[in-house]
Amino acid sequence: MKFSISKTAFQEALQVVQGVVSLRSTLPILSNVLIKADKKHLTLTTTDLDVSMRCNVDATIKSSGATSLPVRRLLSIVRELPEGNVDVEVDDKNAATIKAGAAFFKIMGLSEDEFPPSPTVEGGTAHGMAQASLRDMFRKTSYAVSTDETRRVLNGVHLSFRGDKLTMVATDGRRLALVEHAIDVPDKSEKDMIIPSKAVKELVHVLKDEGDAQLHVLDKQVAVECANVLMVCKLIEGNYPNFRQVVPSQCEERVTVERESLLVALRRVSLLTTDKANSVRLTFAKNKIEISTVTPDVGEAREAIPIKYSGKQISVAFNPEYVMDPLRNMDDDEIFFELVDDLSPGVIKCASPFVYVLMPMRIS
Amino acid sequence: MTIGNRDDRQLPHTIMSRTIMHLDMDAFYAAIEQLDNPELVGKPVIVGASPDKRGVVATASYEARAFGVHSAMPSRTAGRLCPNGVFVPVRMSRYAEVSGQLMDVLESFTPLVEKISVDEAFMDVTGVLHLWKDALSLARAIKDRIRAELKLTGSIGVAPNKFLAKLSSDMDKPDGLTVAPTIEKEIIAFLAPLPVGRLWGVGGKTNERLNSLGIHTVEHIQQRPMEELRTILGERMAAHLSALAHGRDERSVETGNEEKSISNEMTYGEDCRDPARVRETLLRLAEKVSHRLRRSGKLATTAQIKLRFSDFRTITRQLPLQPATDNDRSLLNAAVELFEKENVREPIRLVGFGVSNLSRPGQARDEEQQLLFPALDSDLQDEKDTKLDHALDEIRERFGTGSVGRAGGKGRNR
Repeated sequence: MKFSISKTAFQEALQVVQGVVSLRSTLPILSNVLIKADKKHLTLTTTDLDVSMRCNVDATIKSSGATSLPVRRLLSIVRELPEGNVDVEVDDKNAATIKAGAAFFKIMGLSEDEFPPSPTVEGGTAHGMAQASLRDMFRKTSYAVSTDETRRVLNGVHLSFRGDKLTMVATDGRRLALVEHAIDVPDKSEKDMIIPSKAVKELVHVLKDEGDAQLHVLDKQVAVECANVLMVCKLIEGNYPNFRQVVPSQCEERVTVERESLLVALRRVSLLTTDKANSVRLTFAKNKIEISTVTPDVGEAREAIPIKYSGKQISVAFNPEYVMDPLRNMDDDEIFFELVDDLSPGVIKCASPFVYVLMPMRIS
Repeated sequence: MTIGNRDDRQLPHTIMSRTIMHLDMDAFYAAIEQLDNPELVGKPVIVGASPDKRGVVATASYEARAFGVHSAMPSRTAGRLCPNGVFVPVRMSRYAEVSGQLMDVLESFTPLVEKISVDEAFMDVTGVLHLWKDALSLARAIKDRIRAELKLTGSIGVAPNKFLAKLSSDMDKPDGLTVAPTIEKEIIAFLAPLPVGRLWGVGGKTNERLNSLGIHTVEHIQQRPMEELRTILGERMAAHLSALAHGRDERSVETGNEEKSISNEMTYGEDCRDPARVRETLLRLAEKVSHRLRRSGKLATTAQIKLRFSDFRTITRQLPLQPATDNDRSLLNAAVELFEKENVREPIRLVGFGVSNLSRPGQARDEEQQLLFPALDSDLQDEKDTKLDHALDEIRERFGTGSVGRAGGKGRNR
């Protein structure tokens, strides 16, 4: 196998696929990227056996063939190469020589036969939507995914294709983020699924501002195709908790807040929280939200944000990170904050179909 | 703990003169063993590890003390000093039971009882003194009740503060009763001949340092000018020791003063070279500690392991527990995490596990994140864990601590 490729294109393609590779893989082959040279392009594939990522990239193929090379090493080399073309030649023992300008490298690979077979993407239903929209939905939900590995079903983003929309939900049991997007779902293709958060993270990197993505929904896996990239991943099996029941249907008091002001105020006040006293108090009072924290032996902090409010005074304690998470991942200038009483969940909304439900902290 | 950081907690009654008693039971463990087994009465009883094993003496009866045996002495040494000594193993649960009865007796005299250990307590009797002829007759009544109800003896010190009370109870052991002087001049004379190490807070290091500077007795402290003490000891320690040396101690009797830490440790018969076995021992100890922690009704926020190597080098490693817990699984995990982080390859002589920073659930600023799906798997898991822990506790209480354990602690990882 022998090909020539622009350094920039090679680096970008490797960057797309390298994220999937596990740092602590037990099988050496899983640290490698499968490289196939055929006609006018290269196909790069990586997998951790749950998620596989494939990227096509144009190249000048001098002789076709396939091999697998350690992806991190390869990327670190390509990253440092001078601009221009990179010439790669792989011999029948899977040793690859890489030449660019005056630089020469030889790295050892493994036979393509050792690489796990690529999953087949056949059947199922395909949904098309703009890459930017899909990425935005992931961005607005994925931070709420649980990292507690004992709660498998919460370790991913839940997608529900129903009626005329796609509903995406993530929760760790303390807060829940839900976002909806209008999409045409034929009756027969109604489907719920949980995409593992690792795959979501990779997708957020891969999805671009322009162009469409296709979601191929299969029985136990999902494939997302966008431009030159195809990601296939196994779905998390199990029953997702009934999230609809925890989204409050009505609220007592709603205020409109400048997102950025709220975010910076929270960031400042939370400086005085500690591991043991990790809460800030949000108090809705006449024409202001006061954010405050008092930490024994540490100190206190307070900041008020002007709002239009004349309802009853409500004061709720939250983990500040959980309030900041959605604010960081929204683009709206103004958001809506809804409270019921001192011990009920708080809700953050915005002009678009997005709901964030946050359970308070009980302080005794 | 110094007087300094307690100042903010001074209660009004500390201003007026107080009457504090300190009770120290006589050879408590050994006395209970003699009580439970009349054959041991009059014999040198040594409670602790047997003399052919490594380990130490927990308590020796006065008969054994005559041979020079004392607590914390290696059992081997004790066996040599007292060849006819009757060695009996420690039965902590029995002592704890008697201790409970003892505290009940004390609390029938005054509610202000501060339990320091199973066999030691302070009582603030200031408020109940008017019911008695004087402090001496009250102290006698307490001793009589203990003898009548528990068939045990203890020594009481009566004084205007805790420090002097504790010193006094030690003056006339066993079965003693000492009333410390109350007039300042007499107090100073009373304290003057005592070695400086008797002052609260003077441990090995400070003692050495003081001795090297010619300070051997409390009198030396009394006589040194304050400035000099400050340069030697620093502001706080100087103030603290000077106050004690003059018999001043403002600490109140704290009824809520409960155990601050719980730990268990084990010395191997032969240094253990197998990390898997040490890990297993550690899990056992963690289970015991966890059991004791739950019995105390408290939650811990710090876990600690202790490892002693063949050369007696000892290390301790701590881990914060977030949130505070009394859960077996959390403590066991902490023990394993701490141990595995050490990656020990050397032979181990002693291994220990403990928890500290104990709090009552709901104490201090307790934050609890509310949950969206309280019934979800992990929460259920915690509940299951709690139920399992309590079930295990019950079994252990009925059939002994070794009767049941987690699979990870016994069979695996060999």
